[in-house]
Amino acid sequence: MLAAVRPHSWDLALFVHVLGAMILMGGLVTAAGAGIVGWRDSAAGLRRLSALTLFAVALPGWIIMRVGAEWVYSKEGWDKVPDKLQPTWLGIGYITADAGGIILLLALILGGIGIRRARSGGGAGLLKASTVLAAVLIVVYAVTVWAMGGKPN
Amino acid sequence: MNFYDWMLALHLLAAFAIASALVLYSVLVFNGRRMESPEQRGLLFRIAPIGTPLIGGGSVLALILGVILAIDSDQYEIWNGWIIAAIVLWALMGAIGARTGKYYTDVQELAEEGGDSAQQEVVARLRAPTGALLHLGTMLVFVLILLDMIFKPGA
Repeated sequence: MLAAVRPHSWDLALFVHVLGAMILMGGLVTAAGAGIVGWRDSAAGLRRLSALTLFAVALPGWIIMRVGAEWVYSKEGWDKVPDKLQPTWLGIGYITADAGGIILLLALILGGIGIRRARSGGGAGLLKASTVLAAVLIVVYAVTVWAMGGKPN
Repeated sequence: MNFYDWMLALHLLAAFAIASALVLYSVLVFNGRRMESPEQRGLLFRIAPIGTPLIGGGSVLALILGVILAIDSDQYEIWNGWIIAAIVLWALMGAIGARTGKYYTDVQELAEEGGDSAQQEVVARLRAPTGALLHLGTMLVFVLILLDMIFKPGA
């Protein structure tokens, strides 16, 4: 019931966090969708769009989400609570946000190299790997959204 | 997790499905204005159907689960101003979104007709401000719903 009774002073930080998370999720869905639809294409058009979307949409979304998370964490006073007393949902959020960030970085590197190689007709495997990582991240962040909403403890 | 927590989690997931579709459409609208060849434009039309179940299912579920939450909650009632505002904005988003969808579906049908004049018309419609402004309107209303849900004015 925390969401229903939280003070209004937390609202802006929460809005930034949620908006960033939505941009991130949208970028991942678009990237994974484009990569999967274009999986068997001989031309790299959709795979390239997939990697570029990760860079231009998902990465900024992750940064906004993470900044918002730290802001709302501080606003809600969790930074003053010992780690062992913090609720499970908060731990899920931190682990998935940070581990997801590393996976996103890996997808961006694979996609970036893949785009470079695609200019000379290669890089399909790297771009496909980037798509797979984007799809994995959708599942990870869907679980995170569930945890942030339901707040299991 | 109790019943309310589950409904809230699913309500949030439905909202994320809508947001994901809107981001996907934004990428398509942005790229559609820059595409030069019919083949490039065809790629975008192949991705667009991914958004349909996300925005359709997400919208219906977000509304139903939101109403259930309002009925179940001890903190607020369904006739509270911010909840009524959210329902009105939801209907407005649906109306603008439907117009946006029709605009781009017509463009896609035109693109599938083939022929030089049809392709020129496709380029003109993709670059015209109409579709982009309609999409921007849908996005704007969605952000207003998000603000309303988080700030809960009057609550």
